[in-house]
Amino acid sequence: MGENPSLQSTMMEHLKLARVLGALEIRFDPDKCKGVRQCYAVCPVGCWTPDGEGRKIIFQYPERCIACGACVLQCPEHAIELR
Amino acid sequence: MATVFMKWLEQNPRDYDRGIRWLTLGQLDPLKEKIAREYVREGMRILEIGCGTGTLTMLMAGQGGTVSGIDASPTMLGEAQKKIGASAVGDHVTLTQMDATVIGGRFPPESFDLIVSTLVFSELPLEDQRCVLKACAGLLAPGGRLLIADEVIPSHPLIRPVYSLVRLPLVLLTWLMTRTTTHSLSDFDILLARAGFRPGIGASFLGGSLILYTADPAGRTPPGTEPPVAGHLRHRITLRAILVDLWALFFRIIPPYPKVRPGLYAVGNPTPDSPVLVTGNFDLTVRRLVQSIDGRLDAWVLVADSSGINVWCAAGGGYFTADKVIAAVRSSDVEKVVNHHALILPQLCANGVDGWRIRKETGWGVHWGPVRAADIPAYLAANRKKTDAMRRVRFPLKDRLEMVSVTVGFYGLLILVPVFLFWRSLLLPIAASLLGLSYFYAVVHPWLAGRDGLQKSIPLILIALAGLATYQMLGNAMPAPQIFHWAVGVTGLAFFTAAELQGMSPLMRGEQANWSREAVVGLALFGIYWLVPLAAGWR
Repeated sequence: MGENPSLQSTMMEHLKLARVLGALEIRFDPDKCKGVRQCYAVCPVGCWTPDGEGRKIIFQYPERCIACGACVLQCPEHAIELR
Repeated sequence: MATVFMKWLEQNPRDYDRGIRWLTLGQLDPLKEKIAREYVREGMRILEIGCGTGTLTMLMAGQGGTVSGIDASPTMLGEAQKKIGASAVGDHVTLTQMDATVIGGRFPPESFDLIVSTLVFSELPLEDQRCVLKACAGLLAPGGRLLIADEVIPSHPLIRPVYSLVRLPLVLLTWLMTRTTTHSLSDFDILLARAGFRPGIGASFLGGSLILYTADPAGRTPPGTEPPVAGHLRHRITLRAILVDLWALFFRIIPPYPKVRPGLYAVGNPTPDSPVLVTGNFDLTVRRLVQSIDGRLDAWVLVADSSGINVWCAAGGGYFTADKVIAAVRSSDVEKVVNHHALILPQLCANGVDGWRIRKETGWGVHWGPVRAADIPAYLAANRKKTDAMRRVRFPLKDRLEMVSVTVGFYGLLILVPVFLFWRSLLLPIAASLLGLSYFYAVVHPWLAGRDGLQKSIPLILIALAGLATYQMLGNAMPAPQIFHWAVGVTGLAFFTAAELQGMSPLMRGEQANWSREAVVGLALFGIYWLVPLAAGWR
């Protein structure tokens, strides 16, 4: 089995993914935000809060993030990154 | 562990090429050479739908054609890019990642002299086949031609049984070695004629089971288009539903996944004003959606192709995308059925389905519905307003029990089958430990200390070892080597059960995040299991 390139590349890819996934963090740039609140509409764990005086959205609960990437994909202003 | 298995299921391009070569008994390459030699002329503008790893693309460019190759799979395209970029014909080839079903909107009308597609149509649902053919008719310049090579179920009554007999073991072997399989078309010439082409057969291989269709636009649209609605969906408890549920309870990660044919379905008695709910085509997903709304509201359910996977996982894995939803909108002709332009998508596909792409390409509005289908009636009653509870995932006991059953099914196969075959006397105690630990974990999961599966595995291991010690003290004294084996065994079971459930929990990052550590612990346990008896002189 060790000779099988697909199995080996599968393992290596998996280890790489493991390293990346564990460390991913949301980077939010409030200056780019125009307040469409798609992130709020799609976040399944409630990281985003829409209130706050004068602010459009707050990334309030970073510890809840499961790195699913929904807010990153749905933000029309590319104000959110997952790195 | 389960994710490693899932990863293995994903084919890589090299495997795919190998698998296809086996399934077509080596006849695909001569077929491709024939296409390039006989149908491609200098300066032709060619669209190749599903260029895969680019074998035919190169051949056609080599004959002087200018080829636009599209494929839905980025890995395949990557392989094609490697091959073509290094060759002399690179300037005559453009590769783009695209679903076949969206070509109509991505290329200008009448912009190709030849459209070629090998082994793509057999992978598409019937609605999508129709939609792509219609788009091809519009993309062909006057005098242009469509070529489709695909596997076909032979029509000859004598050849058909031979075909089935040869094909079954071939399909099984090929899938096991390369995770590649294909389906076969039937009555494709009729479909071509209905889409407005004059069908012909350019070549026939393998007793008529691999055919090259030539299709020239007939110059007129055929009369009588089929009604867009694929059928009615009702919530019914049937024997099939029960059997599928039972299978899915334990073995849902093992393909083939039970699927629903993509298309537009009616639930209740929907009118043109009724909402359009989009979902994936995993059988369980569709049935649970219908169960939540049937009898409570009238709606259109637009089932998009998610490769038979639930929407969240399919979107995360790249199987459920904006292209798939756009394809469903286009090929279902939902526009002719309703008088509004609002799609309601499951919130949990937002990690992979780009809502802005759908809005831009179709002009339809995209609304993110609730996480759970059960909240849809309330969500619609509130004019598509979600409460915070509707947008949040939970992991209640019922879901935990269901997900633990999936790990039990997977580990059951992995552990209990070999135990049954080789150490039958141990089957009962090992099965009891596996089931006991797994379901115990499902129940106490929220109260165990630790934020992720790995941390939670520590209290679970301690509890398991305490259970073992109690058993030992209650007068079932075992000799030291046996206690040792059991201790290592339950530690491993508890560790992997806890780590595994993380991948099934919606509240934690994927299990993959821990995978490297899981591997280390697994190896360490194996080392202990091997070395301690040697050191103690038990072996």
